[in-house]
Amino acid sequence: MAIEDEVKPTRKDLMEIKDRIELSEQGHETLEKKRDGLIMEFMEILEESQDVRDHLESDYDAAQKKINKARALDGDVAVRGAASALAETPQITLESKNIMGVVVPQIEGSKVRKDVGERGYSLLDTSARIDEAAEAYEQLIETIIIAAEIETAMKKMLDEIEKTKRRVNALEFKLIPELKDAQEFIELRLEEMEREEIFRLKKIKEKKEQEEKQEKQEQRDAEEESRLSDEASAATSSD
Amino acid sequence: MRIAVVGAPSFTTGFRLAGIDEFREVRDENKDEDLDEAVEEVLGMEDIGIVVMHQDDLDYLSRNVREEAETSVEPVVVTLGGEGEGQLRDKIKRAIGIDLME
Repeated sequence: MAIEDEVKPTRKDLMEIKDRIELSEQGHETLEKKRDGLIMEFMEILEESQDVRDHLESDYDAAQKKINKARALDGDVAVRGAASALAETPQITLESKNIMGVVVPQIEGSKVRKDVGERGYSLLDTSARIDEAAEAYEQLIETIIIAAEIETAMKKMLDEIEKTKRRVNALEFKLIPELKDAQEFIELRLEEMEREEIFRLKKIKEKKEQEEKQEKQEQRDAEEESRLSDEASAATSSD
Repeated sequence: MRIAVVGAPSFTTGFRLAGIDEFREVRDENKDEDLDEAVEEVLGMEDIGIVVMHQDDLDYLSRNVREEAETSVEPVVVTLGGEGEGQLRDKIKRAIGIDLME
């Protein structure tokens, strides 16, 4: 790894990296909590979703049976005729709810269930079987609206869980280890530099001592020489 | 917002009976060619909040459209009949790491 190229082994960089590690660790902890919280919330929704799925299937089967019966006994044309006479359309309104930072929709349906009189087709020309089929489908739509709300929430939460998980893993296995490596590199490098410095100082000291020694020696030699020459001159003068 | 239904005429009739007025009818024999377009069209409509489809019809869609239908949140696609949990199940496995739908 090219940590050596990216960071400079200085005390300033070391302090910066220490700060970043602290921040990353805090972030990691927070994100981990968020992930666990999201998974807990998701589990709750999952249970609900399984119930709704079951309802959806049974409502769909019931509605299909009823419309098939109407079709068989009243004829396809009568059913289609009644279907195209409808005036009121079911409406849905979306509101949003916040679950741990995930915005999930709350869907509410209106005008889903209608009275026989509100359905738009003539009661005289159609049979009770068509009424029953229409009612069964109204029930089905209500369940579909609940299922849509829950499934959207699940999709959104799963996306968020995946995103959070990826962030937690990136911090845990990539960023924090890299920063720690960088910290170790700088610390080792600084220690090495310190040792080199001590060694260099020692060397300089030794050299200085040697130089002083030499100087002293030279001085002594010079003194000796001058003494000898003084003695020699004294001897010649006494002669 | 409204609800839209996409599928064979026999699938949509019941929903029309319940008052839904936004539907795309694609006959079984044309599903290979026309279903993609119909689904893309309703997914792109702004006032549609829920799209209802039959689970088996998803098999007629091309890969891109199918993925769009399965992951779309606005509108959300609700499928009826069949298993219906395939995509979600995969997603749960990937996000949480375990299969929770057993």
